[in-house]
Amino acid sequence: MLQEFNYLAPKSKNELYAQLKKYSGKARILAGGTDILVELHNQWVAPEYLIDIKKIGDFQGISFDEDEGLSIGATTVCIDLIKDRNAKKHFPLLVDAAHRIGSPQLRNRATIGGNLCTASPCADMGCSLLALNASVEIGSEEGTRVIPLKEFFTGPKKTQIKKHEILQRIIVPAEMAGAKFGMQKLKRIKGHDIALVSVAMARTAKVMRVGIGSCGPTPVVTEDLPPRASLRAVVKAVKKVVSPIDDVRASKDYRLFMTRQFVEAIYPELFKRS
Amino acid sequence: MLENTPRKDRRYVGKDVPKIDSIEKLTGQALYTGDLEFAGMLHGKVLRSPHAKAKIVKIDTTRAQQLAGVHAVLTGKDLDYRVGLYLVDKYILARETIRHFGEAVAAVAAETPAIAQQAVDLIEVEYEVMTPFLEPKKVFDKDAPLVHPDLGTYDYVQAVFTPIPGTNIANHTKLRKGDVNKAFKKADYIIEREYTNPNVQHVPMETHIAIGKWDVGDRITIHTSAQSPFTVRNLFAHSFKIPHCNIRVITPYLGGGFGGKAGIHLEPLCCCLSKMAGGRPVKIQATREEEFSLLPCRSGLTYHIKTGVKKNGKIVAQKMTMYWDAGAYADYAVNVTRASGFSASGPYEIENAWVDAYTVYTNKPFGTAYRGFGHVEFSWGVERHMNYVASQIGVDPLEFRRINALKAGSKTMTGEEIMKNTGNVTKCMEAVAESIKYGKLTAAEAAREKKTGRKIGKSVVALHKAPAMPPFTGTVMILKLNEDGSVTGSHALTDYGMGTYTSLAQIIADVLRWPIERIRLPIENDTDRDPYDWQTVASKGLLLSGNAAILAAKDLLDKCYDVAAQVLRAQKCDLDHDEEKVFVRHHPKSYVTYKQMAVGYAYPDGNAICGPIVGIGRYIAQGLSNLNKETGQGNPALDWTYGAHGLVVEVDPKTGEYTIIKVASAYDVGCVINEASVRGQAIGGMLQGLGTAMCEGYIYNDKGQLLNPSFTDNKIPTSLDIPEEIDCIAIETPQIDGPFGARGVGEHSMIAVCGALGNAIEQAVGAVLTHMPIRQEDVWRALSNKKTPGKVVRQSKAARTEKTADAEAVAKPRRGRPPKSAKAVAKTPKKRGRPAKAASAAAELAKPRRGRPPKAAKPADNTPKKRGRPPKAAKPADNTPKKRGRPPKAAKPADNAPKKRGRPAKAAKPAENTPKKRGRPAKAAKPAESKKVKRGRPTKAAKPVVGMPKKRGRPPKSPVINK
Amino acid sequence: MQIKLTVNGKKYQRDASETKNLLHFLREDLGLTGTKEGCGAGECGACTVIMNGRTVNSCLILAVEADDCDIQTIEGEAKDGNLSELQQAFHKNHAVQCGFCTPGMIMSARALLQKTAKPSVEEIKEAIEGNFCRCTGYQQIIEAVQDASGQLKKKEGLRRA
Repeated sequence: MLQEFNYLAPKSKNELYAQLKKYSGKARILAGGTDILVELHNQWVAPEYLIDIKKIGDFQGISFDEDEGLSIGATTVCIDLIKDRNAKKHFPLLVDAAHRIGSPQLRNRATIGGNLCTASPCADMGCSLLALNASVEIGSEEGTRVIPLKEFFTGPKKTQIKKHEILQRIIVPAEMAGAKFGMQKLKRIKGHDIALVSVAMARTAKVMRVGIGSCGPTPVVTEDLPPRASLRAVVKAVKKVVSPIDDVRASKDYRLFMTRQFVEAIYPELFKRS
Repeated sequence: MLENTPRKDRRYVGKDVPKIDSIEKLTGQALYTGDLEFAGMLHGKVLRSPHAKAKIVKIDTTRAQQLAGVHAVLTGKDLDYRVGLYLVDKYILARETIRHFGEAVAAVAAETPAIAQQAVDLIEVEYEVMTPFLEPKKVFDKDAPLVHPDLGTYDYVQAVFTPIPGTNIANHTKLRKGDVNKAFKKADYIIEREYTNPNVQHVPMETHIAIGKWDVGDRITIHTSAQSPFTVRNLFAHSFKIPHCNIRVITPYLGGGFGGKAGIHLEPLCCCLSKMAGGRPVKIQATREEEFSLLPCRSGLTYHIKTGVKKNGKIVAQKMTMYWDAGAYADYAVNVTRASGFSASGPYEIENAWVDAYTVYTNKPFGTAYRGFGHVEFSWGVERHMNYVASQIGVDPLEFRRINALKAGSKTMTGEEIMKNTGNVTKCMEAVAESIKYGKLTAAEAAREKKTGRKIGKSVVALHKAPAMPPFTGTVMILKLNEDGSVTGSHALTDYGMGTYTSLAQIIADVLRWPIERIRLPIENDTDRDPYDWQTVASKGLLLSGNAAILAAKDLLDKCYDVAAQVLRAQKCDLDHDEEKVFVRHHPKSYVTYKQMAVGYAYPDGNAICGPIVGIGRYIAQGLSNLNKETGQGNPALDWTYGAHGLVVEVDPKTGEYTIIKVASAYDVGCVINEASVRGQAIGGMLQGLGTAMCEGYIYNDKGQLLNPSFTDNKIPTSLDIPEEIDCIAIETPQIDGPFGARGVGEHSMIAVCGALGNAIEQAVGAVLTHMPIRQEDVWRALSNKKTPGKVVRQSKAARTEKTADAEAVAKPRRGRPPKSAKAVAKTPKKRGRPAKAASAAAELAKPRRGRPPKAAKPADNTPKKRGRPPKAAKPADNTPKKRGRPPKAAKPADNAPKKRGRPAKAAKPAENTPKKRGRPAKAAKPAESKKVKRGRPTKAAKPVVGMPKKRGRPPKSPVINK
Repeated sequence: MQIKLTVNGKKYQRDASETKNLLHFLREDLGLTGTKEGCGAGECGACTVIMNGRTVNSCLILAVEADDCDIQTIEGEAKDGNLSELQQAFHKNHAVQCGFCTPGMIMSARALLQKTAKPSVEEIKEAIEGNFCRCTGYQQIIEAVQDASGQLKKKEGLRRA
């Protein structure tokens, strides 16, 4: 790298909390590195400290609990989510979403927590986790708090996390286990690309939701919809929450058009019998 | 040469021989420039301009110089040297004026890359931002800001190029064959349209890199990833006025080039930093982002084609106008213009042809050589145009190409006669048409359409290219016989993966009749060790170097025969040779082995004769000539390689998403030397061409700043983007003066595949595209365009009255399959083109609108939308009132010639002889789409964001990515 | 910072700069220049190595993160001067042109074959999707991997017409 920084690798949550407090504002988190190292390479950031959280056991692993649901440690890499037995069984939408991230090399390093904390409007895990009504657990010396993911993103590349806090795990509620699902992602090539539009839909017997990426300053999600909501109603609900723009990747018109296309393509999948 | 050698005598030529340079690459042992370390080596970094055009008011390097570990800091003021292949217009570092985004302003050499970057960050520059010139078609505007006000003072190759001082025209290539105006009057139809494509990056996997060392006594050593070591040496010598023999250029293994490394780029800067640092070697490796803006790219092109055609399908006249968006420096672009100029019609016979090709300076990263050398860019226009004309006159596009294809007896645009052995473009077209089953859907394709709801389209296109090179291009091969009877070659053509050296080894092995394992051709080149080769470009390597290799092998054998004749007391005509020895033909036990004579033959008593054996083969292009600057007539072509593509695409008529099902490619290579190499070139070039067609292209904002300077938004094809099926076919019409009849094919695979894609998409769903890249959004947008570009005039009574069902049915961009015959078309039910409606009955997020295309997004800052003309370019930063009237005068010429009063010399009028209008300069040929200037909407020609994908309706305000 | 790692079966202990990425560490500190830098930003795959059995872009990993890890690079592919069957297949099938992407490409193919003995064409394409090649157009690389896994029935050739 062209910058100087100090590398820290705390071995426990508490050690991390102390470092975050001490170096508040001067530190950046190193998880998979697939975002932060690009930022360092381009000299977009110059932190004094880089704190590697991969050695913290509490942030690792995936587990499933009938009451809570799926608990994904923040430093879980995409490939491990893709292979996880519980994820495959109960939340295949997440497996689908994780599979769409980057290339094989990137999926072997990029973490679910990192994908959310980078908070790009096109975060692939963002729209899928929103469709599943996920929550995130944020910790610090002061304790932990759990907030719905839909409140987590506050703007492009901005989240609720304060400088002394850390995203610890992602919780996907048990009531969404087994949801029918579908996801589509618009890219410029068939190889790896950032989403120009992504739509993830999930439906259980009780609720239907649509998460959308790259159509607003953050990934967004519809309100909770009735499980038998008509396609028309779903489209209306999506229209309410998206606000795409023109940029070098796609135009606003096309994003709107393709969002609708994706919703229409996925909708029938949500009603298929297993 | 040797084209009549029977197949049975070709042990290696024509076979699949593994590449002689792949093992070291497979093990990681091949050393590229970036792998080299030298004692005391420093690392260089460059400060680049964030502006497209600016004056450098002040540069302060004090803090950079004081940083520990820094050994050299340079700015443009320190380097009064200009470089340029054909037009010497570029300083090594910008002096006084910035001419493009990313241009090098200052450079540092330091002990580590991190220190060098820190030092660069400490350099303070004050800019006065100016209005950039970004649109090549505005080159004739009176108040166009000049990129090179001093153009009139630059040295240039006068025999070939025509710059126009006082304008942004670095070169105007003209071609006048026959009488185009007269012929237009006789045409039944006159059909015209305009085609565009943006700047594109080569994207070699290894970015540009050089290590320069400037020793006392002006001895220069350069290690560089460059395609043409002798060109680096030559240009360096000219720029710095140093003897050639003082300069040594070494090219290790190269990680790709595609033309981007054909000239001279980082080398002078590395050497100048080294000189300042007391002779320590300095390495500069471009980052990928620098590759996109500091280093050159491929010029963009706006190509206007106007065709006069008879209703029987014969083209009688064609007027072609090219505006090359060449960027800030002429580099290779002037030659790209010239080479495209003489090739501009594609492989079709045009009796009356008129070409005006302009190399236009703009304030953008400059264009250099790129595989195809202009042909990819103009072929897009030619092949789209051929289909357009065919559809307007009611002839099948393939049949239309057959009617007009060059064949034996035809004359090219430069007046060259095509011979039987020149090659066979018709055969190429037939081969690919058969491969893709052109003209119908197979049962499998029909079933696929039915199952998916997507539409399948097919097209056949053709191409040609001759090497774009000086008529006096030559090369030398030296073969040195080693003590053990093996041979080591010395040659300065570079091989960076094309397989040319393997082919040369095959040729040498067959002439010598030796096993190929005994032939070594070192991949690294060294101007101190190797004899001259012009450049590794132009697909001339196999032909010229192959001939030189044959001559060298023959010369080597001849010298061996000399020794054997003396030793065996035989006449040379009584001798023959095999892989071990030279022997007397009728007494084979009487022989001398190569080992015995390799470094001199010694008799038993010790007497020695003849000395070490070296074979030398020199070959220079035969019979070529410069083009007449007024008429474009001459003989520029070493050879013509013809080719064709057949392409099958599947398109979603709702979304515009498409998948390429099959690409068949055929090339008349004369003689296949190495099967797998030809196939490798065919597939690699085809995918690189598809990259241009599908997803590549620079995007600028209206200030000329590059918005996609990395892989994040400058995509190239991956393994998932290749066609489902690939077919490669070789035609072998022998090139009489080629080695074993071979001709080159390195560039050709890239040339016409873009047009093939555009045509097939239109054939499938009726989307008319005249701009690249073709993103799926562009297909979608084209589907909803009611008004398609182009202008058709039915001139003859016959053409006007012949509005039969046949002609009408094919006049519109066709949906579905191509017509079987003109008559049959009338009976084929016409598919109407609107994309299928969305399933949803009610509120949809965005219906494809009728009439006016969808409006662009409101600008993020809520500036009220302006009606009428597009917004003017941003005023210069210091609010200098905009000067009206004449552009600033060019600097006085250095020789103090009396200043001419009055207006600057007028630019050459565009080709059309439009009567001169007072007040404004004669306008360049309007794009064919529209004559009316619509109220409320900007004119189509005026696009504020250059390179942005074309949209209908109001153009978007400049999107700027905030990092 | 002191790190210990195994590279191509050989153990190393080195003092690694905290700000150096694994790619530069392999090239500069260990002299293993086979792995190349194409973009430095995890897009092109030229820097692909296998880390603990998985392909990674070594430009996006700090050297210090490789502490206690097992790394495979291109230098470890041939054994005792003999090309592996994968390298031989690349050689035979002309899957190498300029060679700059080749080390990373071999690593991705190697990781695939370590997991799947007979990958389908789709699986091969997916496995190398993160390795850009500008020269070959990928087709001959795919054929080489098929050949290495004993699946190339008929050698694709250039047709003559």
